[in-house]
Amino acid sequence: MIELFEVTKRFGSEAAVDGISLRVEKGQLCALVGTSGCGKSTTLRMINRLIEHSEGEIHIDGQPVRRFKEETLRRRIGYAIQSTGLFPHWTVERNIGLVPRLLKWPRDRIQARVEELMSLLGLPMESFADKYPNQLSGGQAQRVGVARALAADPDILLMDEPFGALDPITRETLQFELRDLQSRLHKTIVFVTHDMDEALRLADHLVVMRAGRIVQQGAPLELLRDPIDAFVESLLGGEDRGLKEAALTPVSHRMLPLGPHPIAQARIHRDASLHQALAVMFREHVDRLTVVDVEDMPVGELTLRCLVGVHRGEPGA
Amino acid sequence: MRRPNVVLLALMLAALVGWLGLESVNVAANRIVLGTGFRAHQVVGWPGALVSCLPLVTVAILVRRATRVRLCWALVLVVLMLMAMPAWLAIAADRLVDPSLPQSRLGIGPANWLLLFLLLLSLIELRVRLALSRWAAWWLLLPVLAAWWLALAFWLEPLALLREYRGRSDPFQTAILVHLSLVGAAVGISLVVGVLLALAMRRHAGIQRLVFSVLNIVQTMPSLALFGLLLAPLAWLAANVDWIAALGISGIGWAPALLALVGYSLLPMVRNTFVALSEVDAGVIDSARGMGMSHRQVFLQVRLPLALPVMLEGVRITTVQAIGLTAVAALIGAGGLGTFIFQGLGQAAMDLVLLGALPILFLALVADTLLGVLASRLDHRRDAGVPQ
Ligand SMILES: Nc1ncnc2c1ncn2[C@@H]1O[C@H](COP(=O)(O)OP(=O)(O)O)[C@@H](O)[C@H]1O
Ligand SMILES: [Mg+2]
Repeated sequence: MIELFEVTKRFGSEAAVDGISLRVEKGQLCALVGTSGCGKSTTLRMINRLIEHSEGEIHIDGQPVRRFKEETLRRRIGYAIQSTGLFPHWTVERNIGLVPRLLKWPRDRIQARVEELMSLLGLPMESFADKYPNQLSGGQAQRVGVARALAADPDILLMDEPFGALDPITRETLQFELRDLQSRLHKTIVFVTHDMDEALRLADHLVVMRAGRIVQQGAPLELLRDPIDAFVESLLGGEDRGLKEAALTPVSHRMLPLGPHPIAQARIHRDASLHQALAVMFREHVDRLTVVDVEDMPVGELTLRCLVGVHRGEPGA
Repeated sequence: MRRPNVVLLALMLAALVGWLGLESVNVAANRIVLGTGFRAHQVVGWPGALVSCLPLVTVAILVRRATRVRLCWALVLVVLMLMAMPAWLAIAADRLVDPSLPQSRLGIGPANWLLLFLLLLSLIELRVRLALSRWAAWWLLLPVLAAWWLALAFWLEPLALLREYRGRSDPFQTAILVHLSLVGAAVGISLVVGVLLALAMRRHAGIQRLVFSVLNIVQTMPSLALFGLLLAPLAWLAANVDWIAALGISGIGWAPALLALVGYSLLPMVRNTFVALSEVDAGVIDSARGMGMSHRQVFLQVRLPLALPVMLEGVRITTVQAIGLTAVAALIGAGGLGTFIFQGLGQAAMDLVLLGALPILFLALVADTLLGVLASRLDHRRDAGVPQ
């Protein structure tokens, strides 16, 4: 668990971060979003004390970060950045084993851990262990960066725009991999990004920052439904935010039990998003879909009316 | 690749003109008298002289279409010509030097020097065009050096250069030793001081400005003036402080020479070290700290190894520069190979000058290659496969 209480950071007289309070529960992924220069990286780097905060308190599992020696603190916290920061003069294997070596793990334990991580991140040991970072593609290098951050099995992971430099397709692949990884590992993650779609896709808790302050925070759906002001609304995509909400809601949340009338031809998986369901309706020119489970058995139906939630849209809602 | 290689073409034509037009060798009855010059055709007659031009003409024809295969053949011919040069000198010695006059000697004439120079330039051009490493170039020079050594040892008895050496083989070895010691000490001291200065400069911007302005001034002073400037204070120190005099330090000799050499060496050393340490990727340093490396670990395991190739570049520049500057140090009695150069100039004995100058040139080339290769070796993991 990470807690920030009224934390401020001043560079000279300018406040880069201005009295922010934030709580990231254990096992949650918290995304910090906002335009560039709004203090996201500064916030992140105060947690592992790469930057010392000027005022306020930062706690990790209830303990102030200042109580730890800097190096001790950082070795307990994974850190991954956009430029990967891999050491160009070290092999992939050595790069990944960095923190365990700093922690003086025995050799064979490091070796086993590196192998485990490389297979976890889809980097076959035989072909990647002895490569140098300049021999990797952007996506591979970023995977190594994440593996290195995870090496000593830290509870907390700090990620500063880790996928920001990748092409859209690789970025999306890595986002899904991270989500998959997170569903197994349950790390407490603070994730900085300026890509709202990425934040919505990954976050349990979304924090919108502007000029060093937190404008709004909460679950992604909460923000999408109820942006506090025009800034948050435009950051969330303006008129498009309805579609983004649909993309975050699974079909199973809105589907109806199978009705008496014959079942519809067009089908949709129950774990697909409402956004995908809408796309199918649009493409097939229908307003009714049959919802199926993994075995392709019908489990319900989805009408356009219940997809858009007509019954919820009462005045005042 | 199909176009002619104009550089090589020009080099070959210049070599051809020089070879036929300038004096190839000269012969003198003894060390003092002025020798008589002989052009190539005066040594072996016109038919022989024309035959001796054939390899040059062939290379010129080859490089008119600069394909890789043709350039390789040109390389072979250039190396063979370099190997044949001592043989040419041996033929000239055999024909022109009267064995009954033990003092008579053969001097290397301008045509030969020019040819040597132009062939070496061609070799460099070919090395670049064929993308060969520095090492490869030295392997090519190996047979050339072997040919020269053989000729000097067995067939070139009357060569004036060799006679000058025979008369001074002991002082020559001492001079090389002194020269190398001065260079080694200057580079070693400036490396240590330079790294310390660079570290201090990274801490304080004030020190950075001060150091750079002082070193820039030192660098612009003519070397002889700097040697001269150190004479008076060192002489005064030696006269007034006992332990300094006891160390053998005085206004002339090795002490002021070493001081001045260190002065000149510091700028390239400090500049390269400083730039090398400062330009290590900020993201790499950030993540090293973020992973929980201590300052010491970040410096020793990340910053220093990543800066090393650029720092070595500084050592290379400094060493090559110091090898040349040490020649001047002979003027204030520091010894070294410069001694022969200035003695030779004083006695108008060009071959004695060469006895000092050629080894200096050779040492500089060797140092340049070795340190260059070392730097690129250390760098191979980051720029794999890029030829020098
Ligand atoms: N080391 C520093 N010294 C002075 N100002 C800084 C420093 N680091 C960041 N800032 C300033 O703090 C503000 C926030 O920066 P940052 O946290 O990096 O923004 P971002 O949200 O883009 O990550 C910016 O205005 C930046 O100029
Ligand atoms: Mg940032």
